[in-house]
Amino acid sequence: MTQIDPRSAMHLADAAVSVELETPDMTLNIGPQHPSTHGVLRLVAQVDGERVMSVDPVIGYMHRGYEKLAEVRTYAQTIALVNRIDWVSGFANEVPFVAAIEKLMDIEVPPRAQYIRLILTEMARISTHLVFASSYPLELGASTPLMHAMREREHVLELLESVTGGRFHPNFNRVGGIKPAAGGGSSMKKVSMDLPAGFLAATDEAMTRVLDIVDDVDRLATGNELIQARTVGVGVLPAAKALEYGVTGPNLRASGVKYDLRKVESILPYDDFEFEIPIGNNGDCFDRYVVRLEEIRQSASIIRQAIAKIPSGPLRAKVPRVLKVPKGEVYVRAENPKGEMGYYIVSEGGRIPYRVKIRSASFSNLSMLPWILAGQLVPDLVAILGSLDFVLGDVDR
Amino acid sequence: MTDSPSEAEVMESGEGTEGVSASDVSALAEELGALVGATAWSDNFGVIRLEVERDNWVAAAAKLRGRGLELFSWLSAIDWSREVEVGEQVESPDDLDERFEVLCRLSSVKNADAVHLVAVVPKDDAQLPSLVGEFAGAEWHEREAAEMFGIDFPGNPAVDKHLYLPDAFEGNPLLKSFPLLSREVKPWPGTVDVEDMPTTENVEAAQDASGETDGGDE
Repeated sequence: MTQIDPRSAMHLADAAVSVELETPDMTLNIGPQHPSTHGVLRLVAQVDGERVMSVDPVIGYMHRGYEKLAEVRTYAQTIALVNRIDWVSGFANEVPFVAAIEKLMDIEVPPRAQYIRLILTEMARISTHLVFASSYPLELGASTPLMHAMREREHVLELLESVTGGRFHPNFNRVGGIKPAAGGGSSMKKVSMDLPAGFLAATDEAMTRVLDIVDDVDRLATGNELIQARTVGVGVLPAAKALEYGVTGPNLRASGVKYDLRKVESILPYDDFEFEIPIGNNGDCFDRYVVRLEEIRQSASIIRQAIAKIPSGPLRAKVPRVLKVPKGEVYVRAENPKGEMGYYIVSEGGRIPYRVKIRSASFSNLSMLPWILAGQLVPDLVAILGSLDFVLGDVDR
Repeated sequence: MTDSPSEAEVMESGEGTEGVSASDVSALAEELGALVGATAWSDNFGVIRLEVERDNWVAAAAKLRGRGLELFSWLSAIDWSREVEVGEQVESPDDLDERFEVLCRLSSVKNADAVHLVAVVPKDDAQLPSLVGEFAGAEWHEREAAEMFGIDFPGNPAVDKHLYLPDAFEGNPLLKSFPLLSREVKPWPGTVDVEDMPTTENVEAAQDASGETDGGDE
């Protein structure tokens, strides 16, 4: 065995660096089954060594044709479909849809129902962002936050389930209000239908744990040198580009645009509460991550205020048993956890909409992938994809 | 906010609070309509709808962008058709002018202002200049409208490439004349589970029978 002289080894290493390596363009196929694509997104990347030259996203693997299906179902039947668009925050998808019908039909929703919608929407936001808070550090190599945040998210989902009967697909909104809650006894007895006993207290307590877990994730990941190295200054999205591509939600706010539909044009009584809209300065992966963590804290605060103020009263306005929606067109949008979610409904006066256009946040958020990924390093591609926090069901509809 | 309670009521129909009042909306509709040279404008439940000529489509979008409506929200189309394979007919099919309407929603990020820019596209010449030069985000939305409705968007570099549909797919699924293939093969099980698919007769019969209720389960 010959001993390698360390000095000559160093010399060899230096020589290797100075050699011009030929890195011809190569097509790298990522997905549709790949952990970093969060579902069935396929990216066809042209790479030159470690550098991504261009990316062609291929979507549609989850396309279920909801816009066509909505044209053959009654409005009430479609509520069960729309909560499957972004399945991580199913409840939040239903609210703008029923609100659009309520607008067309001129129905006033009772305040208590509005508050329950608001609380459950914010819980959906928390559970969505907790998925992000657990999976994003994992993608960057930090696996501990996953266990903590996922456990707490499960508690939030349990609470959602105790009211709606479903962890992911509540199908809980009805035109004019909400469905009799699961804990409220038989739906035949219309007298005592309300939130399950102890729900509000349990939710209030759960918020304490949620806030604790966000602090934990903060301590475990945010200040971590490796996480910062992977995210700070990576995948910068300037505000002007974001607007041009229709990017909304935390991704837009991370780029410094203070635009939150809960403040701008809300279909739920957000005006009753005090909360901040966190924004970022640089629009990089780190800002997108920090903005979402802060949004969890704000949502927890909104839920607590709503629990303290929730009015009593009926859960549903008087509506005809057979929903005939007057002729007209309406667009109602709401701040979903992922961004602007909206429904454009054209009614011709019947029980079935003539046309439903679903504006989903992730579709627009993802449409800028070819722009933001061009010129990035392959490992940064994973960091950027994760920071955009999309759901393929929300992209494909 | 307006002083007139009736206008406030109109705006707040259904749900809580609105960022703008009715009178603001119509003033804005008028201002923006004049700005882009719209042939017709209206506001439906606070949604401003500006109809423009096809030649004016890109220029109108550019002007609105300059006016502060810089968030490209979405673009899609409606197929106004007499022939309906599945779903609901229009109210009076005989009077219907067969056409596509392409809608593009632009909104402000400073306030609640937003506009639906609408172009009427005839079916025998289904094309509309692409907005990609103005809003890069229009590319995917136009590709979706192209494959779903068969509308061409000259200027969009990838308009012929399917976005959602498999490459070999033929037809434009969101056309009213396009059947829902799964129902051709098998009747919808929801029909027996829930209720008959509504026709005009059974809707009226059901309404006569039940009248107003306090909203039971569907």
